[in-house]
Amino acid sequence: MAEVHVIGQIMGATGFSESSLFCKWGVHTGAAWKLLSGVREGQTQVDTPQVGDMAYWSHPIDLHFATKGLQGWPRLHLQVWSQDGFGRCQLAGYGFCHVPSSPGSHQLHCPTWRPLGPWREQLARAFVGGGPQLLHGDAVYSGADRYRLRTAAGGLVHLELGLLLRHFDRYGVQC
Amino acid sequence: MAAASPSVFLLMVNGQVESAQFPEYDDLYCKYCFVYGQDWAPTAGLEEGISQITSKSQDVRRALVWNFPIDVTFKSTNPYGWPQIVLSVYGPDVFGNDVVRGYGAVHVPFSPGRHKRTIPMFVPESTSKLQKFTSWFMGRRPEYTDPKVVAQGEGREGETAGAETLFPEQPA
Repeated sequence: MAEVHVIGQIMGATGFSESSLFCKWGVHTGAAWKLLSGVREGQTQVDTPQVGDMAYWSHPIDLHFATKGLQGWPRLHLQVWSQDGFGRCQLAGYGFCHVPSSPGSHQLHCPTWRPLGPWREQLARAFVGGGPQLLHGDAVYSGADRYRLRTAAGGLVHLELGLLLRHFDRYGVQC
Repeated sequence: MAAASPSVFLLMVNGQVESAQFPEYDDLYCKYCFVYGQDWAPTAGLEEGISQITSKSQDVRRALVWNFPIDVTFKSTNPYGWPQIVLSVYGPDVFGNDVVRGYGAVHVPFSPGRHKRTIPMFVPESTSKLQKFTSWFMGRRPEYTDPKVVAQGEGREGETAGAETLFPEQPA
């Protein structure tokens, strides 16, 4: 079986209008992939920037996959939430990016979006908070039913991921 | 077919914690330690250290320089658990107590060669304003009992942190 190591960090986020942010992340893979070590999903701490506007999480990611096929290459999906002074959480954006496929270190900047409701809900969100959320998280990384959504842009999530690939040459894949 | 024996590889890390930028604080020292998975073990060098206390330079740069050496070699059979360096910076507060000014962690670079890393740092923050005041007043700020938790992904959900962007630069 070929093996893939994904080792890196979710560095932080910029460009969000809210300031105390945290990120829930997960990795989705196809059926041929098996996670040998590491945790497939997690949540960062809440970070409030004191200097500048980038919220830093430096959340480590260390995953070891084994696979028999290239289909279903891992995708990292993210949900950025903000927390206010009362402890309430509000969605700031959804985003996803594919894990890179060439070995080495990569800097990734993942754009995010959030669903928009009718103008009444947008007005309520400005005053009271809240807002529409996806019922099924897989719309974040799959294109199937996206045409039904209306969304607005969120900020960028910055990641630094390193890839180590092993035994791919046995299957005729050059990397 | 004979089973392949696990192959051991070595990772040698040479470098330094060069300097930091902390706009608001002075007279700081840093501690570093390495966090790694179960398949890793240090074979040479020091995996922990405490630097000297440094003050900001008088010139326009206002730099906090440690130039603190890092010299360690690991051996492993598995890239999982690749070592991370965890840095904690401490300094005195208004009343003279030693308080934590920032924690940060980064993976040791994967590719051979010379690398420079700038690490953002954060401090844990109390969520209630009263706690923030009493901790400022008493000099007992929220602190991790074991700085190594900074390198772990699990269990971060309850934390709130304020990012003081301080940048220890680490050529390796």
